Amino acid sequence: MQPRKILVVDDSKLIHKMFEVLLRQYSLVHCLDGLEALQALGNHADIDLILLDINMPRMSGLEFLNQIKADNFFKEIPVVIISTEGKEEDTVRGLEAGAAAYIKKPFGNQELLEVIQRL
Amino acid sequence: MENAAPGELLTELGATLERAKEILAALSIEPSKAAGALQTNDRLEELETQISAGERDREELTARMVEAEHQLGRLMNLYVATFQLHATLDPTEVQATIAEIAVDLLGAERFVLLLRSEGTNECEVALSRGLDQDPSGLYSREKYLGGDPLVDAALEDGVLRMGPDEFSDVIAAVPLRVQDAIVGVLVVLKLFDHKTILRAEDRDLLDLLAAHAASALFAARVYSNTDRKLRTLESLVQLVRST
Repeated sequence: MQPRKILVVDDSKLIHKMFEVLLRQYSLVHCLDGLEALQALGNHADIDLILLDINMPRMSGLEFLNQIKADNFFKEIPVVIISTEGKEEDTVRGLEAGAAAYIKKPFGNQELLEVIQRL
Repeated sequence: MENAAPGELLTELGATLERAKEILAALSIEPSKAAGALQTNDRLEELETQISAGERDREELTARMVEAEHQLGRLMNLYVATFQLHATLDPTEVQATIAEIAVDLLGAERFVLLLRSEGTNECEVALSRGLDQDPSGLYSREKYLGGDPLVDAALEDGVLRMGPDEFSDVIAAVPLRVQDAIVGVLVVLKLFDHKTILRAEDRDLLDLLAAHAASALFAARVYSNTDRKLRTLESLVQLVRST
């Protein structure tokens, strides 16, 4: 089943605008950091997928990921990390924390769409 | 045979004639069968040719679709970058957008935005990232006083320079123009390790930055200054009215 509602967590407004254009067929919920995203999850119980940046103010992507994977209600939501952190150990750390996929910025649109459709 | 009765001869002749008819019939059928087989072979070859042509068309269409998707991606990036650059009149936000374009779309790990100080040839470091690892030391102060040939040339003639070369480590020096004036330069010093080179679509983005970043920044600064003056005047008017 393809996701219908996607939570986008990134401190870059450019990325939010890009997702608005690229993911028109989905309903998007926008957050600028992990803390805001946790609140948004409480308000939107029907989130199907999370697109998550790593480097963000207040609460990083990995902290957010650890929190939701420890929560029985949210832990099944697939998370795709989209980050400029492109080293192998970053990818491993993200996947070990429970991310379903890891995409490096700058990313190709088709690459992102394929990952979303796969999940 | 010589002693055979005429009736027997007639019977034998009849049988021979029947046999001859059968042979003739068979002979008349065989050519049409052979012709049919030839036609079938021709048709098969024709179908094989058509299938090959169809496969070539499919491959060509697939390649075109991939190219179209690639172009769509390029256009989308350009649209989003332009939209965000002109989406605000706050100079700080415009600078943040320039940084986001450099990081998220170009893949720049280390870069600096230099803006010309009014009335001088000096450039102030308006924005930077990753400069704590800048071996040249040219941008580590608040002002850039010259020293990198690619950056100096871009500031001089307003032409985009791509590097590095034997005299400069700069990957790209993007002059920022407002009308005919060169008001600054975006210097890309290093890309992320997973982004090995700048590609053709990155060149489009650099051209877009050269054309739009400065005008967006200039417009935001003018608006900000005008707004500040307006607020000062309004405060003065209120003060005069209250006294």
